[in-house]
Amino acid sequence: MNRSTFQIAAILLLLAVVAYAASRGDNRQPPTPPHRNEVLFWHFWGGADRTTVEEIVRRFNASQDQHFVRAVAMPGNNLDLKFFLAVAGGDPPDLLNIDDPVIADWGARGAIQPLDAFAPADEVEQAAAWLFPAARRLATYDGRLYALPNGLDVRALYYHQTMLDQYGLKPPQTLAELDQIEATIAPPGAASYERHGYLPDSRRLWAWGYVFGGQFYNEATHQVTADDPQLIAALEWMVGYRQRYGPAEIAAFRQGDQSLPGKAFPLLAGRYAVVMDGQWRVRDIRAFQKAQQERGEPLTEFGVCPLPPPRGGLQRAGWVNGNNFVVPRGANNAAGAWAFMKFWSGLGHEAEAAKTCVAGGWIPVSAQVAQQAEFQTFLQAEPMFAQFVDLAGSENQYPVPVVPAGAFFNNEIKSVAERAMLRAAAPDCRTMLQDATRVIQRQIDAAQENDR
Amino acid sequence: MKLNLAEKVLAYAALLLAAVLLAGPLAILFFSSLKTPAEIQSNPHALLPQIWRWENYGDAVTAMPFFLYLRNTLLICLGSVIGTVISCSMAAYAFSKLQWPGRNLLFGVLIGTMLLPWHVTMIPRFLLLREVGLYNTLGALIVPTFLGDAFSIFLLRQFFRTIPEDLSEAARIDGLGEWGIFWRIILPLSKPAVATVALFQFIAAWNDFSGPLLLLSDKRNFPLAYGLEQFVSSYSDQTHLLLAAATLFTLPIVILFFLTQRTFLKGIATTGLK
Amino acid sequence: MSSTRNRIAGYAFASPWLGGLVLLYLFPFAASLYWSFCRYDLINPPQWIGGENYTRLADEIATGTGFGQALANTAYYAAVGVPLSILLGITLAVLLSLPVRGQAIFRTLFFLPSVIPVVAASILWMWLLDPKEGIVNYGLASIGLGTPGWLQSSGDMFSTFWRTGTFAPGSKDALVLMSLWGVGNFMVIYLAALGDVPKSLYEAAQLDGAGAMRRFLHITLPMLTPIIFFNLVMGLIQSVQAFTQIYIVSEGRGSPAGSTMMISLQLFLSAFQHLDMGYASAVAWLLFVLLLVATLLLFRTSRRWVYYGG
Repeated sequence: MNRSTFQIAAILLLLAVVAYAASRGDNRQPPTPPHRNEVLFWHFWGGADRTTVEEIVRRFNASQDQHFVRAVAMPGNNLDLKFFLAVAGGDPPDLLNIDDPVIADWGARGAIQPLDAFAPADEVEQAAAWLFPAARRLATYDGRLYALPNGLDVRALYYHQTMLDQYGLKPPQTLAELDQIEATIAPPGAASYERHGYLPDSRRLWAWGYVFGGQFYNEATHQVTADDPQLIAALEWMVGYRQRYGPAEIAAFRQGDQSLPGKAFPLLAGRYAVVMDGQWRVRDIRAFQKAQQERGEPLTEFGVCPLPPPRGGLQRAGWVNGNNFVVPRGANNAAGAWAFMKFWSGLGHEAEAAKTCVAGGWIPVSAQVAQQAEFQTFLQAEPMFAQFVDLAGSENQYPVPVVPAGAFFNNEIKSVAERAMLRAAAPDCRTMLQDATRVIQRQIDAAQENDR
Repeated sequence: MKLNLAEKVLAYAALLLAAVLLAGPLAILFFSSLKTPAEIQSNPHALLPQIWRWENYGDAVTAMPFFLYLRNTLLICLGSVIGTVISCSMAAYAFSKLQWPGRNLLFGVLIGTMLLPWHVTMIPRFLLLREVGLYNTLGALIVPTFLGDAFSIFLLRQFFRTIPEDLSEAARIDGLGEWGIFWRIILPLSKPAVATVALFQFIAAWNDFSGPLLLLSDKRNFPLAYGLEQFVSSYSDQTHLLLAAATLFTLPIVILFFLTQRTFLKGIATTGLK
Repeated sequence: MSSTRNRIAGYAFASPWLGGLVLLYLFPFAASLYWSFCRYDLINPPQWIGGENYTRLADEIATGTGFGQALANTAYYAAVGVPLSILLGITLAVLLSLPVRGQAIFRTLFFLPSVIPVVAASILWMWLLDPKEGIVNYGLASIGLGTPGWLQSSGDMFSTFWRTGTFAPGSKDALVLMSLWGVGNFMVIYLAALGDVPKSLYEAAQLDGAGAMRRFLHITLPMLTPIIFFNLVMGLIQSVQAFTQIYIVSEGRGSPAGSTMMISLQLFLSAFQHLDMGYASAVAWLLFVLLLVATLLLFRTSRRWVYYGG
């Protein structure tokens, strides 16, 4: 007993020494050069994007003699939660990039600073005019810019041209045409399905709601309007698919998507003729076609179109989200953070930003970046991506309302749609959305009273 | 009681079945962590890999600052073991060998804190550690262990009570103070119990996830358990690396368990005998 | 007996823990009680709002949203998981106490899963339970039990069976399965208790002609009741406190469709994502009271069925 305890302690000590020695190699970060102010920057990018991020940081640091950005990747769930804990804990980074709808929450509570608190007023004003409408909506709370977006994520419909051709169908321009695609490719009543034309995804009530011409929140009256008749209509349209195919089929088919090898894009597997997704899938499609080419197979054709509206709906509409730079309260180097976010987003650095967007395959946040020659050349070579950039500039693209409890708002709407789509015994759409309106309103009221 | 042949066969069949169901997943974890990415895709259900790809471990270690995380984990483990052993053996001594007013009441309170869900105290604890400047330091996970923990105190007290009072009395007559009795007589006699407490605390600290989630924000301070969660989100499509990382994280605990099995199982058995 | 010396020494030796009691229990306890009547976001000072958080909780319980949903999920997890852990723990302990060779090895194998770090175990089970690629469904399919959705399905085994008559465990059942995998702790305690049953009892019963089953029901089981009781109480507490595995398998969101939104996760997210410390404190307190009541009830009923021999 004594001897073995001693042995174990010795082994542990040895391990600690080894780990200590080895860990010195893990501190790969370069030190901040003397006479430069460090900007501690948290982001969530991993994989190939991480390299692009590191390259931007390198270019910025090379262009500077005042500030020095140290980028820290914080992958994982709930970055918002970790950031808020750091602010509350009194040890925040100087700059954060985040793609969750939290601007209002944090702004209302003073966890992040409005841009005019640390940046020159004329530059902030300039930024507001410079941004796409969708980007401006994303970053504005209570009439003030609380963030500078640096990229937009836009949703559109991808279609499998080859499959549509097989059935003699065309890309949908109206909602009725989209329904027709599904009815043709997967006539209701079968025991199980190999493929579907299009299945609405419960996460997409946001997008379809806006396309139906609905609004989830009224800025003027501060009222949640999730029971807007247009939104009820959108949800009813989605639920129509559940009624035709049954919740079990929809759930099982979605599950099939999830378990494609390597989480592949289901459109490529030929499981759907039409899928709603973001601009990043263009890359996947091109890689897929390249592989086909190398194998000497005939090329499968794909295309992109805007979400088709129902009668009375909105053209080029949809749900948009994006990446925002925010500066927390208690940041040590807000000036450096401002310099870096302008550099990345392209405010006054349009040519640089165009280069970044080309390298990352990202959608810029301003027409002035999109118009740069380098970016235009990129779009000419990639017409599918150009569709997304066109949509990004549309007046009809809306984010999750920028209100306190935005994350709650977002989840609640998605959860209503998920219940409506996946539960056979779900109550009717109007009741569900009315209940959600009440619950969300209470949450927002509670959050807003708090900061008065 | 003896079993006849048929009963023996039945017993072995049941034991083997249970062993396969319980230990099987671990075998799968280990062997699959050596498969190539292609084989994990194409042949996930075979136990043994066709090609043994030991590089998975190297890749997993370089894909995250593994040794930095390991160092943090070990620092937290060692620090919290020291803290727990010191504070808990002292409190256990007070609860078993000394008479003082309020002792029994406070012992009831001690047992009560075991039943208290950690959520109730989570938020104030967070604020407290922030106020004393420990937020985002390894100290946030170590310092509180110097303030005792009910489970370990209980375990040590049960053991101290079995040490005959005569020994302490004899020492008192020899002029030894309470500290001397505790340090020179009780502790040396209690090595098995102290070892058990140290072992449990070590494993608890190694596995702890919610503590770092709540109290650490700088990557340079992350322990393995937390680093691994981040790894899950960023490498969710690279199953071979995930499994290799999970194996690396698990292996030290399994080895430790094998080395200390007797102490370990005895310690757990005592917790049930209130 | 120098009682003053002893008295001072008593407090002195207990002082680290006493400090901990005040700082880590009493203060947090009182503070969170106060905050449960406040609106508080950690950054701005707390604001007294009376019982609003509690009326919201009542409303959520009535409508089955928020805390109500989390309570229902947690109740399911405990109600399914705890009895199964008792059953499995006893079964394994009885198997390990059979007089055959090699029991030391079996004991090690049975216990091993319970030392596996929860983070690693979660990663492993997410993969084993994958509906398409996982080995569990591979096994189930090969014996004709289909390919249930496990962690990706929001349904639960019993209500699905009730509705459709099919065997389709969902996310909560997967979490129960994961918790049963680590049943080793309780198993070891049962095993120790089995060893304490006096041999003479068995021999007497055997002389009376009692079969193995009767011996188990009339001798072994009564002797195990204190441990079953311990298992019940600790199992309940552990079910309510379970956090790490839920956080990891549900991506910190309680997905799919809120089916794994247990109280511990809901509380954590209310506090640090929705920044609602007041509400979260109210949840914590309600939880504490519920657990206390449940434990006291168990203690009361225990007099009827727990046998304290000797």
